[in-house]
Parts: sequence; structure tokens; C-alpha cells
Amino acid sequence: MLLHPSRAGKVILSARFCLWCLALAAARDVASAGDVSFRNDVMAVLSKAGCNMGTCHGNANGKAGFKLSLRGEDPEWDIKVLTRDMFGRRANPAEPDQSLILLKATTQIAHEGGLRFRKDSEEYAILRQWIAEGLRDDAQTAARLERLEVEPREAILTAPTHQVQLRVQAVLSDGSRRNLNSLAVYDPANPFTTVSHDGLVSAARAGETTVLVRYLDQQVPVRLAFIAARPDFVWKNVPSHNYIDEHVLAKLRTLRMNPSAGCTDNEFVRRAYLDLLGILPTAEEARAFVADPRRDKRSRLIDRLLERPEFADFWALKWADLLRNEEKVLDRKGVQAFHRWIRQSIAENKPLDQFVRELLTAQGSTYQNPAANYYRALRDPVTRAESTAQLFLGTRLQCAKCHNHPFDRWTQADYYDWADVFARVQYKVLENRRQDGLDTHEFNGEQVIWAGRKGEVTNPKTGKPANSRFLGSGGPVTQHATRGTHPEENRLNALADWLTSPANPLFARSQVNRIWYHLMGRGLVEPIDDFRPTNPPSIASLLDALTEDFAKSNFDMRHIIRRIMNSRTYQLSAAPNDTNLDDEMNFSHALVRRLGAEQLLDAQNQVAGVRSHFNGYPVGMRATQVPGVLAVRKREKKPSAGDQFLEVFGKPQRLLTCECERSMDTSMGQAFQLISGPTINDLLTEEGNRLSKLLVSGKSDAGMIEELYWTALSRPPTSKETKEAVALLEKAKDRRHALEDVTWALLNAKEFVLRK
Amino acid sequence: MKDSMSSPNHYSACADFHALRLSRRTLLKVGGMGLLGLTVPNLLRAEAKGKGPKARVKSVIFLFQWGGPSHIDMFDRKPDAPEAYRGPLNGVPTSMPGLHVCEGLERTAKIMDKVTLIRSMHHTMKNHNSAGYYALSGHAPATDDQRLRDSPELFPAYGSVVDKFAPVKDDLPTFVSYPHTIADGSITPGQHASFLGKRHDPFFFTQDPNDSNFSLPELSLPSNLTLERLEQRRELQKIIDRQSRLLDFSATAQGLDAYYEKALAMLNSPRLRTAFDLSAEPAKVREAYGRTTYGQGCLLARRLVETGVKFVTVYFSNNIGGQSTESGGWDTHGFNNTRMYNIIPKYHLPITDQTLPTLLNDLEERGLLESTLVVWMGEFGRTPRINDNASRDHWPQCYTTLLAGAGVKRGFIYGASDKTASYPAENPVRPDDLAATIYYLLGVDPHTEVRAVGDRPVLISDGKPVMGVMA
Repeated sequence: MLLHPSRAGKVILSARFCLWCLALAAARDVASAGDVSFRNDVMAVLSKAGCNMGTCHGNANGKAGFKLSLRGEDPEWDIKVLTRDMFGRRANPAEPDQSLILLKATTQIAHEGGLRFRKDSEEYAILRQWIAEGLRDDAQTAARLERLEVEPREAILTAPTHQVQLRVQAVLSDGSRRNLNSLAVYDPANPFTTVSHDGLVSAARAGETTVLVRYLDQQVPVRLAFIAARPDFVWKNVPSHNYIDEHVLAKLRTLRMNPSAGCTDNEFVRRAYLDLLGILPTAEEARAFVADPRRDKRSRLIDRLLERPEFADFWALKWADLLRNEEKVLDRKGVQAFHRWIRQSIAENKPLDQFVRELLTAQGSTYQNPAANYYRALRDPVTRAESTAQLFLGTRLQCAKCHNHPFDRWTQADYYDWADVFARVQYKVLENRRQDGLDTHEFNGEQVIWAGRKGEVTNPKTGKPANSRFLGSGGPVTQHATRGTHPEENRLNALADWLTSPANPLFARSQVNRIWYHLMGRGLVEPIDDFRPTNPPSIASLLDALTEDFAKSNFDMRHIIRRIMNSRTYQLSAAPNDTNLDDEMNFSHALVRRLGAEQLLDAQNQVAGVRSHFNGYPVGMRATQVPGVLAVRKREKKPSAGDQFLEVFGKPQRLLTCECERSMDTSMGQAFQLISGPTINDLLTEEGNRLSKLLVSGKSDAGMIEELYWTALSRPPTSKETKEAVALLEKAKDRRHALEDVTWALLNAKEFVLRK
Repeated sequence: MKDSMSSPNHYSACADFHALRLSRRTLLKVGGMGLLGLTVPNLLRAEAKGKGPKARVKSVIFLFQWGGPSHIDMFDRKPDAPEAYRGPLNGVPTSMPGLHVCEGLERTAKIMDKVTLIRSMHHTMKNHNSAGYYALSGHAPATDDQRLRDSPELFPAYGSVVDKFAPVKDDLPTFVSYPHTIADGSITPGQHASFLGKRHDPFFFTQDPNDSNFSLPELSLPSNLTLERLEQRRELQKIIDRQSRLLDFSATAQGLDAYYEKALAMLNSPRLRTAFDLSAEPAKVREAYGRTTYGQGCLLARRLVETGVKFVTVYFSNNIGGQSTESGGWDTHGFNNTRMYNIIPKYHLPITDQTLPTLLNDLEERGLLESTLVVWMGEFGRTPRINDNASRDHWPQCYTTLLAGAGVKRGFIYGASDKTASYPAENPVRPDDLAATIYYLLGVDPHTEVRAVGDRPVLISDGKPVMGVMA
């Protein structure tokens, strides 16, 4: 650290005189430790020590004036900043130990990033030697990394074993192999595992995790399952309903877990209605189902529900979220048209590949051809590219917009080449009666979407036009110009052909995973739109089997829903047993989750026998049927109690193409809404609601209670529940009040608010 | 070597960031002492071993001046600048030696010995919504978009971050904001928890604290419902919950029930109800704060931090205003034949001069200024050069923020602008740095990593705490 000019000058002088001794020193180092390669050693150290992480010097703005390429994606850049910036003080061949990079990383001088390695470490030795040897780049001579090999790739470890040593080797282009245990980076996906410097994985408890092993630009995921010993574990042989169960049970057995018991008929009927229709069974429907003696009544119920109009309502809602069906961009008329088109597609069981093809190739007026709203909502090429990849290929590309994707294979070039596929989507805005002249996001009026002849995307890194290519092995778009369409339309037609082809591995997989998620509460790949080698499915063979089934069925959504719901796995109870208590990802029991905003409001109204109102829509419309987000803007009219309820419970604004935009959080605001909010208070006290009718129905107190329980919870009350509620009614001064209190308790029961 | 760095802490970012207590300037000065044998490495070796930031502030009152107040008129006056810049308002001396503020702020002048002014705030967002989001979150939006859309991709409000990393327990909310949702055409992002999740949203209301029957629906039951009845309902609910056993095994159920407990505790909380009961305050105090929505809002803020709420945001107005002497924010362009200097002396300055000194004095008298940081700022300043309407337009390139209370210096000016208050001349501070300063003072590491939409690792602040303003 030489800040005094005269001293610095002196050092440079003395360095000239001392070149020969430096050379000697370097020679000695090489002799003892072998050559140090910038490409293969120094770059590895920058990653190993965490210097180039996104939170440190890998940040887009660098840190403290020192910026490295993120995770070492750009060695050309890195060698420049190491050797040329700061007048060479960062790496000082004259006095290697005085190099800033060594002083900082070892905290010999203050370092915001703390201690990265010690002076006696291999990291230090490598950097020091490279500096001492004169900061040579060996881009031309260094052997290239061909392959990263990690052993084991998968392991199941049973307690008391709670550790496993990974072995990491590089296969280099000169045919040599190299042990990398001390230089590879280990990223465990879950906090319950830690990995030592040299690759010893330790688990603090039982569970499954992935450890990413990284060296230079390659990474390998390692799947590890740490299993509790359970010496008295006995595998309970349970029958399979279909192939789904076989895959799940096989996995559970290796994990020494038994699946939970099957759910009751009462649980099943509630679950099936909520999952397929988004509403509760009525008391009569629930009773009839439970009383039905037929052995195949569950299958029959599934078939019946799939044909009901509410099924199309509820599953259209899911798609309307993802396709950004909202008023500001699509306008009210567009929102209605698009929703009608989505709902109709589901009602008629349009094969999913066809549904997607229509969206991707839609041209014309967004009023006349509602599918064109797909592009109306996605206004620029990169948004279209990101959304299409995320929605239909389960691939999150966003990272690659600014740098190569850190966890996936996508480069920045891939990103812009893919975006270029969408560059020629054009808009003819026939009219725009936007209410806010300054708001360029707002469109109100007819638009025509058309495939233009011009338009390209520039790759900002190269500054050159990108070359339209499909993601992955898809290759250049020009190779896909088939079907004899107008050449300028080929991009979108070719896109739809390629994307929905059964040969495209990601389309069917990502779509079947999404359906699985909606029914099971968690994707086999989770998050459901984040497929990558480093995020493997929890039960890979099951995802393969479902994918094949789905593709063979000609992308028949009802077919795959039926398959899943008829499995024993879908029909398990949510209550865990001793062996599967901690399982969250292998479907050994049903996963408990809160009802969605619309489901919850509709269910409350159903129980109380009232209707909510949503601004801009006729009274009587259910929340699940609302086509858009908010039909009347907040500043024109205060959102209705129903609108507000939906917002508090996480109805998405539809600004993102991501399932994650729907908030399934629980919050204080929600608790206030459910305890004493305007919606619940009104529906309980409204004259003429179900309570009014019950009170004059001539039913006994116990009869009224029983009716309410079946209506709200799809089950009869227990004797204790009946007793408490009846006692309350009997001693009440105001019987209506007492009945309101019972109903409040039902609507606030966890069993009501949560789907189990 | 093996243990030189043990994962996974190793991967959790620049953990010891805040250890650095010496500024670069000091470093350079010390560096010059090398000849005396005191080498920088030696000196800093001792400094490098720091701990996490210690909380120096218990609560924050964030007074957001929507529309953009004029720095060159109020707190960064340039009496020697040409007439086209300095404006018609005269200066008045203050209790900070050498500092003048504008006429109309005579009471404020008397408390300037208690405050720190940062005169070198700057950024590049010229539109209200993009600049407002920047000011409220400490993160620059990707583009300077007039109608930036409030989506979960954008960063959360400061209070939401505090709620996530340093929440208040018991029957109190951590983050309270009121009495407006601010918007300029579109709702301004940065007012809620965004990607941190709804559980970290503020306890927010739009009821007017200046209303004679000011009360909150959340804290007051509907007229048909008594607390006794609510307790009875809760008992019935518990009977059903026991039956389903969900609370035995479902974390979701347990989480939801915890919110019931907290919500009911708040409904039952005498101290919270008292805090919101402005009628308990002597009439003299209420008058002193000013009988305005903003004035009573600031009084409420004092009552809330007194009770233990950690982050209180008071919005000056719901819209950018600037064309009325009766309502609205600071956006005085002189449009529609209005004139800035006919408006702010009649509305904005009197309200400010009534409320701000009262709040600081009141906090001090109650010993609360030692634990409470008050932040007064807008989204930008105003053009140093008077425009054709004898008014001023947007100016993010340089503006002033006022800080007072816990953790910051008294009677201090940090940074400086050039001779026309157009650009920072020294120690420039970005909103990112101010955000980092607020987190740092609250004991939250500004470089804490969170996961944004798509699991993207991001830092709660990309800025650097401004150590120079700290006491």
C-alpha cells in the first residue's frame, strides 16, 4: 500500500533493478507448485473466494470501484481490471504480497467484504504466484475445460451418516484430469446443509437438497437425500391407483417414509370442488356424495365436475392471470373478449398445444381475434420473449438479459437471439382514447396486431443485430420456415410449430407441471416456471411419465387432471404420520394452503347465501368469474368491498407473466378483514341471508347448526361442536346474534380458510 | 487452509461491510503518515474486525413531501446568485450559525441547530413517479417512467424492509403509513412490501387524523360487535380448529393463527388504541401541531413512536398539487397561470413552519429525539433557474434532505451544492446512500440480501451509509 508518491516512485525504481531476482523467485514457485494458469486457476480462485459474486465485485456496478465479471463469465474483462486499473496496484508483480487484491482479501487492510482467504491458503498461493510471474494471460495456451465430473451425482444417506464427501474432477482439452476439490465452488440449495471448503457436505437434519458444484463456466447439480434412521420403520404396502402412485411410492420407500392415510369422503368432496370449480359443494351435494355407496364415486365426481361450467370459469381465471388480462393495456372491451376466448377454449377442451399456437400466431384486431391480446399485453420483443419462455417453456430467462444466466446454460446471446424471434410483431393502433394523456402504458381502443417485415433486436453486448434463434437446440428460425406461409409470417408460425411440437421437451413438461401444481399445491419442479438442470424435479420419473401421458393424450388438459385426481397420491390426507412429518416435496401427504382470494370470497358468500359486488360488473357475478383486475379505476370510483377483499387476499394485478404474482401469503390485513372487515360483517348481518332463512325454517337448533356445518365445512359437526353451538343459541338473548357468531367461527376456522 | 473459509457463510455476501468506519478521506490523510511508521495496513488491520451495525435509532418518522419542495428557496439558499436563480423570498437567520432559511420559515429557523441538512442529494429521475419510487425505496427504476407501474418487480418501502428484518413484537405494528396513497396518474410504487410479501405491508389508512371522529376501522369494531362477542367468536373458532388438528401440523395454519392473535391483541390493545386517540392530547398541543391533516398526522406519528412503532411514514399530500393554496403537494410549476410564490407562502410554508418545529421540539421535550430519526424530504428539488411562469420545475440533479434526531449530527450541513444550487459540489449523496443510512442507523445491514421476483438475489440497498452525517 503505497500512497506516498516519493515512496511509490522508489519502489518502481527498485523493481527495475530487481527483475532478475523476481524471475528467480517465480521459477522457484513454478518448480514447487507447477504452472499457475490465469484461465484455470486464478479465475477459479476469484469464484471460490466469492470475489465475483453478484453481491460483491460481480455486481453490475462493482463494489468500491472494483468490478469483476459476474461469476467470472468474462475472463478478458477480469484480467484487464486486475492488471491495468489502479496503476497496477491491484496486482503488483514487483511486490506481490503488497498487491491490493491480496491485502484486501486477507484483511491486512480493511475490506468491506471481510476475510476471503488466509495468507497460508491455496487461494493466496495461486494469486500470489500468478502476480509474481508477471500477470500472464494464457488464453491461447491453457487447456480448456471439457467436462466437470462430480461423484456422487445422487446419494441417499441414512442416519447416522450425515455427511458425504464430493469428488470433483475436471477433464481438460489436453486429455488430462485434475482434482478440483479445493477449487470448486459448492452452493447448497437449502440452509440445513453446509459444505466445507473441500467438498464435505454435512446435513444438520434429515431432508433433501441439491448442491451445485461449480468450476469456471460449468456447473453440476448433486442431489442428496439425508434420511432419518427410523430403525423401526416398516414399509406399509399400499395399493396404487395408477402410475402416479407407483412413482411416488417408489420414491417414498427409498426415503423410508410412509404416505399418509387416504382422505375422508368429506375431505375429498370439498377438495375436488375447490380445485376444479373454485367453489364449495353445497350441503346437499356434500351429503349426497358422502352417502353414495358406489365404490367408484370419486371418479364419477371428478368426471361430473369437469363438465360443469364453473370448471371453465375457474381454470380460465388461472390463465387470465398469466396472460395479463387487465384493463389498462387491453381496455375493458379487450379484457372481456380475451376472457371469453380463454374461457371458451377451456370449456370446449381445446388441446393445449392448439391453445398456445393460437396465442402465438394471433394477428388482427384484438377485438375480433381476442387471442391477439397475448401480444397486445406484451409490448416489446424482450417482454414477449421472456414471457413466452416462462409461460410455455418453464424457463426464466430474465438473468440473461444483463449477463449470462448464473444457474442455467443461457447466454446473453441466447437471450437476444430469442428476443429477435419476436421483434417483428407490430401494432396498428386504430384508436386510443386513453384517459390519462401522459400514461404511455394505457391503451383504450382497437388495435391490430400484425407480423411486420422489419424489426430486429440489438444485442447490447456486441452492438450488433441479434440472429433469430429458438431457445436451446431449436436453431435458427430460418431453418423452420415451413408450411408454405408468407415468409414474413414464418417467424410466428415457425415459433408455434417448434414450441408446441411433441419433440420439444420443455413444452409438455412445463405445462403438465403447471397442472400438477394447481392440483397438488406444489410443482414437481418448483418454482413451476424455473426448469433448469440445476433445479431438478423432486420425482423425475414421475414428471417423465406425466409428460409422456400428456403428449400422448394430444395435450388434453381434462385427461391429465383426471389422471392426477384419480391417483391415490391426490387423495391422501393432509395429516402427516411419524415418518413423513417433514416432507414438503414428495407428496407423501396433501399440502395445506390458503384458498385463493376469489375462492375465499366466493366461499364466504356461498355460506352466507349472499353476493358480492365488483365495480363495473352486474351483481351476482362470482369473484372467480371476474374477467379482469379492476374494471373501474380507483380514482373514478372507490373499489367495492369485494374489490378490496380480493386485493387484500392477493389477487394479482396481472403485470407479470408469473404464477408468483398471485400472493398466497397470509397477512395481518387479512386477519383484520376476516375478523371484523366490512365484507364479513355485512354478509353475516345482511337481511334475507342464509341465517335469516334458517331462523324461520322450523329447524331445531341442532338442525340449524348441522346445516351450517355441511354448508361451510362439508361435514357434520361433532357432538362437542353441536353441544357448544346449541348452548350458545339457547342462552342467547338474540338468537340471530348467536347464529352470526357460529357462522363467523365457521368462516374463520382454519379448516374453512385453508384447503387441506 | 482447509478452514480458511467455511461455507456457506462464505457465500452470503459481503458480510463485514459495515466494519469500515474510516472514510477514504481519513485514509488518505493517514496514508500520508507512512513515513512516521504508521502504515495504513497496520492501522486498518485493527479496524477491519467490526461487528454488524448497532441500532442507534429506535424509530423513524419519514415525512414525505410529495411534489418536490424547492431546495434553493428553503434550505440551500443562494443569496449571491443572479436574480434569475435566487427567487423573491428573503432569507432569515437561523439557530445554526451562518445558515439562512426563507421567510415564512421563522419558527423552523429556530430549530435548525437540531438538524442535519444534506445539500448534495442527487439523481436523474425527472418524473414524479419514478423519482418518488426512488425516494421511497432507495432504488432507481430502470427507466425514468412518468407512469411507472407499481408491480412486484419493484423494491419495497423502507418500512417493509424494516418489518422483515427488525420487526416490533407484541401488539404493535412495525410500519404504519398514512393518510394518503400517493399517486401521479398511476399509484407511485414504493409504498408497500412488494416482493417481500403482503405480510410486510404497512399498517395503512387514509382516514384523516384531523377529523373530529378520527378512528380506524381496524382498531374499532363495527357498531354491532362488542369485544365480548368477538371473544366468544374466537372461542368457537378454537373449538373448530381443535377438531381439524390443522394447527398441530400445518405451518400455514399456525402462521394464520399468529396473525389472529396479533390482530386481536391490537384490537384489545389499550396502548395502541390510546396512541390513535388524538382526543387524549391537550388542545394546546393539537393546536401547536396545526389543525391540518399533515399537522395532526405528525402529532399521531409522535404518539406512535412513543408507543413503540418503528417506522412511521406521513405523506404530505395525495397528489403533487402545486396549483392551490388549499391542498396538494409541492409541484409548483406555475401552470395555468398560477404562480409558485403566490402559493407556497400561503400554504406549504405555513404548514411546514407550524408542524416541523413543533414535532422536533415535542420529540425533544419528551426525550424521544434521542431515539427517533426524523427524515424530511421530497422526490427531488426544483429548478434553480426561475422558469417563464415565475416558478420552478423539477430538479433531481441537486436537492436538500433534512434529518434530525437519533444517530445524526445537530446543526450540521453535509455536502454542498455549486453556486447556483444546480449540482452537488462536494460529497454527493444518492437516494441509495440515504436508504443505506436509514437501514444502518436502525441496525439493519444495508447490504442484506433478499430474493426478488424470480428468486433474484438483490440487496436491500445498493448504497453506502453516509457516515459523515452520523453523530
